[in-house]
Amino acid sequence: MRHARSFTAIVASSVMLAGCGRDMQSMLAPKGIQAEQIAGLAWLLFGFGIFVLAIVIAATWLAIGGSARSRRILAQESTVFALGIAFPVVTLSLLLGYGVWLTRALLDTGRDQNAVSIEVVGEQWWWRVTYLAPGGTPVASANEIRIPVATPIAFKLRAADVIHSFWVPSLGGKVDMIPGRTTHLRLTAERPGTYRGQCAEYCGGAHALMALEVVAMPASEHAAWLQRAAMPARAPQSDIEQRGQDLFLAAGCGACHTVRGTAAAGTLGPDLTQMGARRSVGVDTMPLTRDNVVRFITDGQLVKPGNLMPEFRFLQPSELDALAAYLLSLKATDPDG
Amino acid sequence: MRTIPRSRLLLSVRLILLGLTSIALGGFLLAWSGLYNVAASRGHWAAIDAILTFGMTNSVRTHALGIEARPLDSKDLATLGAAHFHSGCAFCHGAPGVPVSPIAQSMLPSPPDLSKSMREWRDRELFWIVKNGIKYTGMPAWVAQERDDEVWAVVAFLRLLPTLDAAAYREMALGGLTVPAQSGREIATTEATSGAASACARCHGEKQRGPKSRLVPVLHGQPAGFLMAALEDYANARRPSGIMQPQASELSAEDRERVARYYAGLAPPARPEPSSSDEAVERGRMLATRGDLDAKIPPCMDCHNTSSLEVYPRLAGQHAAYMANRLRLWRNAHTSRSEIMAPIARSLSEQQIEDVSAYFSSMHVLSPGKQNH
Repeated sequence: MRHARSFTAIVASSVMLAGCGRDMQSMLAPKGIQAEQIAGLAWLLFGFGIFVLAIVIAATWLAIGGSARSRRILAQESTVFALGIAFPVVTLSLLLGYGVWLTRALLDTGRDQNAVSIEVVGEQWWWRVTYLAPGGTPVASANEIRIPVATPIAFKLRAADVIHSFWVPSLGGKVDMIPGRTTHLRLTAERPGTYRGQCAEYCGGAHALMALEVVAMPASEHAAWLQRAAMPARAPQSDIEQRGQDLFLAAGCGACHTVRGTAAAGTLGPDLTQMGARRSVGVDTMPLTRDNVVRFITDGQLVKPGNLMPEFRFLQPSELDALAAYLLSLKATDPDG
Repeated sequence: MRTIPRSRLLLSVRLILLGLTSIALGGFLLAWSGLYNVAASRGHWAAIDAILTFGMTNSVRTHALGIEARPLDSKDLATLGAAHFHSGCAFCHGAPGVPVSPIAQSMLPSPPDLSKSMREWRDRELFWIVKNGIKYTGMPAWVAQERDDEVWAVVAFLRLLPTLDAAAYREMALGGLTVPAQSGREIATTEATSGAASACARCHGEKQRGPKSRLVPVLHGQPAGFLMAALEDYANARRPSGIMQPQASELSAEDRERVARYYAGLAPPARPEPSSSDEAVERGRMLATRGDLDAKIPPCMDCHNTSSLEVYPRLAGQHAAYMANRLRLWRNAHTSRSEIMAPIARSLSEQQIEDVSAYFSSMHVLSPGKQNH
């Protein structure tokens, strides 16, 4: 009875693991070619490991309780040679070769000039994202990556301060971001959806709060989105948004943040031109709501201890209202609607 | 070796314990009975006085051992110290031309005459006394314990004090402020005194006259919103200063607003030519207008320009010495969640502090609205 119950628990927890985060962030639920390759390799390794374990258990069982003949066979020098040296050398070499062959697409980058290229720079503790469209001007963004479906994306990965690691388990990865070097990663999402990524290398106090979302969208939609995103920020449409913009500039937010099309051109912090279109505030720490935007402005050090942004506690509630309204309005509108 | 019999040893221990208990009990009885007279009017017995003085002197000398003295020959430092001495210390200790208040004279011990009693102390010992105060004497501790720089200013002045006559003291402590003689009615009906202890202008200047000490900020033309916020922060001890907190806490909210508007409306004072090199000013200009991406320092001018929020100070024409001191205070502050400037100042190198202070002090101040970066 007790055994049955613990077995159920194990099965249940494996199912939960497989469905971790509603499949947004699970290498067991691959949504991209590279992730499928890695998952396939993982299952192969897992199966092969079980096979080896079965041989070891069988050999142990025979050695203890087997007949005299089987024990003699086990003790022969040729058996030890075959199972102890030849078998591991052959199988491990095959596995290594297969693994390299399988992941060669991940390692080999830069050949395909037509691949959509996105540069991601890891900073403490956020992601600087630049879309490098072939022939177009680079489009700066942050903390959220939008990619076209079924298109190989060449990621150029860099680090601004310490070592970070870029990992979107559902799509593939992970690859370290190393200061002074550029590393490469190629990912292809097969289905539209939102996939969660995470910094996978401890990078300081708020490392656990350094996540990001990759939004895969149909190629035509993505092209239109990128075109809109490359335009200057949406101008304030109401009095409160206008007050928010004036305040944003007068309070010096532009010293660190860029809002394209305004005087705010700082590059120390995340580009906010598209802030209202993101799904989260504080780098995937809290959902994007008015209250959370205000919270990050006044109590950012509680939300994300050690982050570079000072707390602007002197701002009055009405000023915070205007600022939040302005920031939430910063999203490219559909030209048609 | 002759051994002491066990019985005699026990007897001695008992006698000693009995003696100690009687002393403790006697002391308690004395305190409980109230027979000891704590009257300040009675003074101490000469022997008690000698023991207390001996203990106090040695305590100060021992506790000041680890303090590293700073150079004190700066006129800016002594002038700032003089201004605070006038409002904070002269009531008890007197000064050239300022008699000790008879009320203070009736304290026990009566406050020492500082023109004579300081020779026995080293700089670091004076610093320790001014910073920590002395128990049971009425000598208070420094209001803002984190502001060592202010304490040193007072020590610098104390070293100068024995050389001053009444006129020289008045010039230093009043910062050139001339207080007109009051009519009999004014003396009879207003609080203002010829000492002008609470006058901001003693340090910060007035009308055409800027601060006498370069460690004191120029307030002329600063936004009233910034000045009010600063005074409120001082009054509530959110911004630590042993010099400003006592002054600001005496002002009501209305007073703070009125005095803020007064300074906000003043035209910038004429200043002597800054002494920094052109290269330093140029480096400072780059930092102030472009920031330092590698060190994660945002450009100063994004917040400190004429169209910035009213709660941000304008920096053009500020004294380099004041700015550098302020930035160092922020850099060394232990609080990480207090102010916007603290994390920025922590990223600044010593040279960047010098450069950026030189740049702002070299800037010409235009009348509000015309200034541009």
